[in-house]
Amino acid sequence: MAAETAGPTDSPAARAVGLLRRTGFAVRAALGRRDGRVTAGVVAVAYALAYGVGVGHLGLRGPARGSATGPGPVVEVAVASDPLALLTRRVGPFQYEPVALVTVGPVEYLFAPVNAAIGLGLAALVGATLAVSVVARRGPAACRLGAGAGAAAGVPGILSGFACCGPTLLLAIGVQASAGLLAVLGWFLPLSAAGLVATLLWVGSRVDPDAVG
Amino acid sequence: MKRSRRSALAGLAAVGGAGVAGCLGGVVRDSFGGEVSDGDGAGDGAGGNGDGSGGDSERDSDGERVDGSDAGGRPPTVEADYHLAYEADELRSEALSGGVGKDGIPSIDEPSFRPIGEVNYAEGIPVFGVARDGEAKAYPRHVLSRHEIVNDEIGGESVAVTYCPLTGTAQGFRRGDTTFGVSGRLVNSNLIMYDRATDSWWPQMLATGIDGPMAGGTLDEFRVVWTTANAWAERHPESLVMTDETGYVRRYESDPYGSYAPLGGYYAKEATLFPPLSSPDEGHPKSVVIGARTEAGAVAFDKATLLADRVLTGSVADGDGGEERVVAVADPGLFTGYVYRNPDGLTVEPDGDAYRVDSEGGGFAAADLPLEPVLALDAMWFAWAGFYPDTAFVGEHTGAGDGR
Repeated sequence: MAAETAGPTDSPAARAVGLLRRTGFAVRAALGRRDGRVTAGVVAVAYALAYGVGVGHLGLRGPARGSATGPGPVVEVAVASDPLALLTRRVGPFQYEPVALVTVGPVEYLFAPVNAAIGLGLAALVGATLAVSVVARRGPAACRLGAGAGAAAGVPGILSGFACCGPTLLLAIGVQASAGLLAVLGWFLPLSAAGLVATLLWVGSRVDPDAVG
Repeated sequence: MKRSRRSALAGLAAVGGAGVAGCLGGVVRDSFGGEVSDGDGAGDGAGGNGDGSGGDSERDSDGERVDGSDAGGRPPTVEADYHLAYEADELRSEALSGGVGKDGIPSIDEPSFRPIGEVNYAEGIPVFGVARDGEAKAYPRHVLSRHEIVNDEIGGESVAVTYCPLTGTAQGFRRGDTTFGVSGRLVNSNLIMYDRATDSWWPQMLATGIDGPMAGGTLDEFRVVWTTANAWAERHPESLVMTDETGYVRRYESDPYGSYAPLGGYYAKEATLFPPLSSPDEGHPKSVVIGARTEAGAVAFDKATLLADRVLTGSVADGDGGEERVVAVADPGLFTGYVYRNPDGLTVEPDGDAYRVDSEGGGFAAADLPLEPVLALDAMWFAWAGFYPDTAFVGEHTGAGDGR
């Protein structure tokens, strides 16, 4: 299976198409290997969990404050009164209204469908990028992929996970908020998504098609 | 199989697309954004200790209230202004986003309640108590911290009970036919509310409009008691308590800023999340004061000192270059305090859990002294001093919290 590559004399559009194809090939090839699939799966799940924690949708229950009925069941699902109306209600930059609270033992998860989709999308990007990176580095032939590719993919992902909880993030690191800083925080998520896509394309462009597979 | 996978992906893309469209298509005005005296207490409106006359639009004993008509759905205002240390345009220019959009923190507009006796609260859980016209209600802090405003009715009157976690302030306002929402903006770390009739901006602590058609107006405020669930239940066993069935789902048992029982996180640290308008020279920023403002000045009583000493006397600027005497007394049962004007310098002394006032004998409840009440509220010291850098201070500076 050979990848199609763009020649040096091709137009920018053709070069872009070539880059996408080359990246697509690299991703497919990486996911075709067991180590690639494991890497993608583990990283994507870890990232999705981190994103959930970052936006405050996933975490441990706080201390019980009071109950009319005693301890609740181990698994409990509470749904908003009008979930369809709340589904796309935006509460902040790239943060949307949760429609259900799932409690499993000590763990709580607020299900906000749009944020869940965003989180899964970012997780897929991070997973694919690291899978390609890992497979390329472990491939039988030396490739041109630098060792920092994995880290480059991970940094914006980590930042995006906290993009929606800027003020509490600032509290944790002891930085006082300003209008400018808050404005920047509001764009962390799209910046992270763009960074991840760029990193994936860069990783894809650096992979030797003949060395992976 | 293949088809179902495509369907799932298409659904995911549609939801994601909706999200992006929502993000790009709307303008984000970004925020964070009581006690009643016990029902039998004195006063109302801008000068009372809480339990008010309820609903009627005309004046209190001082003739202060003049606009209670709720005309056009506007929130009722009072004629007597509170002292302000800053001009409205300066406050507007200092307002900044709290990180969420307008109504991103949704007010509770259809609260639900249950008898407080049916709930077994852990010790020390803070609630905001309101008792007006014979009806008592408690609003758990951990629920209100996720909504900041509840539009409710008490004693047949439309009110808003509000709470700002970052300044530690709980205040009640008559709202007329309209409701209040969270604007998404803050000033001096304090919640800026907006009314849904005129979209005017109202910083909660100031109770004064700073932008919009009602700029310069003063809301008709009433006392909200910051106490504990168990203390409130003991004082008002017939009280209702708001439940977490708000119509929304939130992690109500998890506070993103910290905790009050025990005190921790933002509520205990010296650091603030947003820059204050001004910083006091002394005192822990998160120590709690019982603050009171008059038309001409402001005074803060350290709450821990007040709860320990029971009575504190001080003075507040009178606007004519002089000062008028004020006295604060503690209500040990509810862990709160009340402030009164004391122009004649009458002696106020504890008398059991009540008080003795000069020659008029004893037995006066803290909320019901035979003096003119000044509306008071709990506040973090940095927030009070930020809004009122010219405030008087009474007591000793103590650590974070109110010493309990």
